[in-house]
Amino acid sequence: MRDVGELLKERVSTDLADNVCCVEDVLGGNADLIKREFVYHEQRNLTGIVFFVDGLVSPKEIDHSIMRPLTMHTAELERFQHAHLGPQFAEEIKKHVLTNTGILLFDKIDTAINGLLSGDTVLFLEGCGEGFLISTRGWEARSIDEPTTEPVVRGPRDGFTENIRTNTALMRRRIRDANLQIEGLQIGDRTRTDINVAYIKGVVREGLVEEVYKRLQSIRIDGILESGYIEELIEDAPLSPFTTIQSTERPDKVASSLLEGRVAIFVDNTPFVLILPTTFWQFLQASDDFYSRYWAGSFFRLVRFIAFFISLTFPSMYVMLVSFHQEMIPTALALSIAAGRESVPFPALLEAMVMEVAFELMREAGLRMPRPVGQAVSIVGSLVVGQAAVQAGLVSPTMVIVVAITGISSFAIPNYAASFSIRVLRFPLLLASGALGLLGFAAVFSLLVLHALSLRSFGQSYLSPAAPFQPSEQQDLVLRMPIWMMNRRPAVAGADDTRMGPNQMPAPPDEEGEGDESAESRMADEEEAPNAGKGKRKGSRPWRSGKS
Amino acid sequence: MEKRKVVKGTTLVLWLVISSLLMTGCLGSREIDDLAMVMAVGLDKGKEPGTIKVTAQIARPGDVRGQTGAPTAGTGQPIWTASAEGRSIFEAIRNLARYSSRRVFWAHNQVIVINEEVAREGVSEIIDFFSRNHELRMRTWVVVTEDEASHLITTKTGLEVIPGVSMDKLFRYSEIVAEAPRTDMRTLQAAYLSRTTHPVLARVSPKNRQISAKANGEFGSNPQVELSGTAVFNRDKMVGWLSTKESHGLLWFVEHVESRVITLPCAGQRERSSTLEMKNAKFQVKPVYEKGKVEFDVRVKAMIDLVELGCPDVEDQYVWMQQAEKEAADLLRGEIESVLEAAQKRYHVDFLELGKVFENHYPAEWRQMAQSWDDAFEKAQVRVTVEANINSPVLLHKATKSRK
Repeated sequence: MRDVGELLKERVSTDLADNVCCVEDVLGGNADLIKREFVYHEQRNLTGIVFFVDGLVSPKEIDHSIMRPLTMHTAELERFQHAHLGPQFAEEIKKHVLTNTGILLFDKIDTAINGLLSGDTVLFLEGCGEGFLISTRGWEARSIDEPTTEPVVRGPRDGFTENIRTNTALMRRRIRDANLQIEGLQIGDRTRTDINVAYIKGVVREGLVEEVYKRLQSIRIDGILESGYIEELIEDAPLSPFTTIQSTERPDKVASSLLEGRVAIFVDNTPFVLILPTTFWQFLQASDDFYSRYWAGSFFRLVRFIAFFISLTFPSMYVMLVSFHQEMIPTALALSIAAGRESVPFPALLEAMVMEVAFELMREAGLRMPRPVGQAVSIVGSLVVGQAAVQAGLVSPTMVIVVAITGISSFAIPNYAASFSIRVLRFPLLLASGALGLLGFAAVFSLLVLHALSLRSFGQSYLSPAAPFQPSEQQDLVLRMPIWMMNRRPAVAGADDTRMGPNQMPAPPDEEGEGDESAESRMADEEEAPNAGKGKRKGSRPWRSGKS
Repeated sequence: MEKRKVVKGTTLVLWLVISSLLMTGCLGSREIDDLAMVMAVGLDKGKEPGTIKVTAQIARPGDVRGQTGAPTAGTGQPIWTASAEGRSIFEAIRNLARYSSRRVFWAHNQVIVINEEVAREGVSEIIDFFSRNHELRMRTWVVVTEDEASHLITTKTGLEVIPGVSMDKLFRYSEIVAEAPRTDMRTLQAAYLSRTTHPVLARVSPKNRQISAKANGEFGSNPQVELSGTAVFNRDKMVGWLSTKESHGLLWFVEHVESRVITLPCAGQRERSSTLEMKNAKFQVKPVYEKGKVEFDVRVKAMIDLVELGCPDVEDQYVWMQQAEKEAADLLRGEIESVLEAAQKRYHVDFLELGKVFENHYPAEWRQMAQSWDDAFEKAQVRVTVEANINSPVLLHKATKSRK
């Protein structure tokens, strides 16, 4: 038996048996490889053979577009007798007999094997120097579902699936622009995962797509199982706790990003699509913001900013105040806190660490365990950690409140990856403020800010447009301004930065003014009317003036 | 290779930062439950000459707030009081640590009570200490009492669980009676450091006023702290008291007075009276300097409501209100004149901030007079004009009278 690598370099020969041998040598031992022989020319007794991988193909498609035409319409084949065995034979068959929409003629075994493994059907005909690669992909896939990690109250309910074609189709359904470009490549020596890069030509900044390709093409890896692999292999700050690439399951989010001039990377077998470049503030935006009216959108977003600050700093603030700066607590509150801590044997820092860890444990346990056991965790969690710990005098009630509010806040951040980085950054802040009070807190917080300021995501500052500050781009940062005010694309985009016409703010028609005007003109008309006769209503209906 | 070096460097820096943070061992940290939070402090003379006695009222959080955090009165003693003596305030405070199981913490101190004897000997070291120490707040109330300060500190007073907090709220709510200046450490220090003004401090005294719920027969068995009256200082030494009436007059000069209760006896029957409430007032002092003579024009314009008409034979209350305007104005003027008399004739010090007003109007003349201001102040003529407007009978349009 020959080496697989050598076999793959083989060319397709005119001898059917040779070709079959080649394919079988490579994939022969596999239970799911199906081989079907048939005779397609009764008179001359010419045989053909199809290979496909069971489960990856739609059998109906093979039946309809390959087997039936080839076996039932043998009479047609008589027409090609003259071309038989000639170089045009394969082309003729493709043009006149096969009814499938996607057919590729190949002459390398390599192509056949690749096609087979991605769900295409390989057809060899006796006496034909080329093989047919026929698109018959069709496998069991999850249907389009509501995205579970990013639910919305108002907005589309469809989410990406594991099928890359379905996902790109969802994009085409939203943006019917000829400039929407969806380009494909494969990454992964063994998995050969389909990757699609989507962007809108003319909107995307010059050089961005090239940069994305450069980074994608430099990836050398055996397998890509999820977009997370890609994310980690192309991101700007691999050591940073902040994620500089956004991933989402929501097609509307990707569509809006594309319209803003960003690039999306679709990866096969995962519903998570990457968006880049990404700014930090995008993680605090939800699709709802843009679908609800701007009052609601701005309010929700403010709430999320508060949640962000609480989840990052609340425990450290508490520890800092309680164990260093008691003079900064109002007297009544100080007494309450002191009363609650009276029986607690641990310093506030340790207490906070223990509670934070307990909370993280519960969160992780709730996520990992089988769903039917879920109740157990909530009971144990709320009872033991919440009440028993306080009653036993191990934890102060204020600390339970602090940790609970922090936990709730961290769930209010729409993006899971971002909420994770905030959750992790909480711990150094907590340690620092427990060790040095406000000084430590300020030091670590400044370090964090400096680090975030130094980050870039594909050439864009991570904290823009807040830093560097861009006054023209504040309409979509802390507040979500009305859509009719956001008439420019963000600076990520290329040259074409106007996205709507002028004066889009709606207003009722100025009835009174118009009424007066028409009344006046009518009167003026009536004065002239005795002579003019027909032109009576000229002024009030300008669109008729031409006819009258 | 380059990348690996960067990673190594970053790890090293991170490691250093983390370990330097952790090795500090929580420098300067002290848990809130390890603190003895002082709520009020009293300063008396010590037993031995030259010593000072500091009495601290310290909250016991466990009894201030119950297990669940809700206030629980009566389960135990919400305060713990201890006193210590020393040659200086700081030494006395440090000596408190002999008895206190927790670190004495001053930042939540609400009130400083100074005994009259201490005040008469001088409060400059008190001002210095309490404004120099970073743990002490400048917004702490400062009061003088003729009683032992330690007695006042141990008195359970007011509705709040902690007496110190009660005294703080007493001050915050005192504008409604306007009988004592609201003096905190900041105003005391400002007045002491000022070239023009002498300090005044509020006066507190224990009065048997509380009716015990358990023994309601013994009226006024428990003492309560009363905030009324003023202590007058010459530089840092207390020189005397102002009565309630004089304090009323004083407040016009040192604070923004808006509310007052004015009781007028009826014209016919002196034993019956009607009551007015001042709702709003304008106070203006204008200095006049002519031919080396200092004069002041004091003008008050008060808007007054009728709150209680007790006179029996009032036909038309609006007519009565017009007649009462003069009487009310006289009463207010009398108060202001009484405090001027006390300042100019009795104590010979300017605690009315008139020097400040004069300096603002005549800065050049002030420079010549600054040295001898107290003399000039004594001789200054002050004209007081009070205009009272009683224009609202509030809800009643007619006097309350039976028509039978």
